[in-house]
Amino acid sequence: MDSSSKETITTTALDAVIKGALVILPLTIAVIPWGILAGSFALDAGLTPMESQAMSAVIFAGAAQLVALGMIKTGVGLTGILITTLLITSRHFLYGMAMREQISPMPLKWRLTLGFLLTDELFAIANQGKQHKLDPWFAFGGGFSFYLGWNIATAIGIIAGQTLPNLDSWGLDFAIAATFIAIVVPAVKKPSILICVLVSLVMSLICELMNIQAGLLIAALSGMTSGTLYAKVTGEKA
Amino acid sequence: MIWLTIITMAILVFASRYLFLEPKLPVRLSKNTLTFLSYSAPAVLTAIFAPIVFIQEGELALSLDNSYLIAAVLAAVLAFTTRNILLTTVVSMGLFFIIH
Repeated sequence: MDSSSKETITTTALDAVIKGALVILPLTIAVIPWGILAGSFALDAGLTPMESQAMSAVIFAGAAQLVALGMIKTGVGLTGILITTLLITSRHFLYGMAMREQISPMPLKWRLTLGFLLTDELFAIANQGKQHKLDPWFAFGGGFSFYLGWNIATAIGIIAGQTLPNLDSWGLDFAIAATFIAIVVPAVKKPSILICVLVSLVMSLICELMNIQAGLLIAALSGMTSGTLYAKVTGEKA
Repeated sequence: MIWLTIITMAILVFASRYLFLEPKLPVRLSKNTLTFLSYSAPAVLTAIFAPIVFIQEGELALSLDNSYLIAAVLAAVLAFTTRNILLTTVVSMGLFFIIH
């Protein structure tokens, strides 16, 4: 690690917050249909408007929320919901580990704040490698503006869900796929990442078709392992 | 019961995000571990989006009837050629909502 005393170019906190918000803006826009889905689907699963909004405000995890709502709707108990949530949220352990060198030396208030805001989308804009010093205000601007977008979209979904029937048949879940494709494809910068993505893709389909609950975890770990091994065997540059 | 679900889920999600940001946690990450982790985002995100795109009603749907697949192919092409997240998501979602 290079010396931590190295100062980055001095920008004011506000500039960094705005910059973070702008860099994440495409993802904030793309999360709107997904947030609408989370709000309307929550009502559909029998939650009150207040509970529906609280899900987005307190949990702030789209994939986990949608899967949990599906389980609430079909009457699965709390234990089942929590085990599934753990599986879905387990990727955040990996994000936390990847950001550890950058964020763990920061004061507690920053660790708690950025920890709460550490979504797939924030990770996509903030994880720029160890040599790049992370500005907490930049990460906050990205994470918090995304949080606002997610919650406003949820509120829209709650209002729309009360007035428009069959919102769930609109295919709002395509927004999830579009967002993740837009993040993943440009990230494929070397052959090992392509291998990782292809293995994860095929494994996730196999697990889904076989109804394996831990499919997400199995697929992701298979992809990561394959990519790492491929890079090692071929001596690919980092 | 719903509130209990929301609060326990929130604790679990937050714990998973915060755990490795805690400096007191005695973990030193080797270079190999960091390399392994650099593959986490593409692997996890792919594992989430692939079933949405390729599987419809519990079956593999590799046909032109699958509007998710058509729009996803467009998204992949746009993402590859433009590297522009906003353009990719907006145009592919536009196509999706037209053909769906």
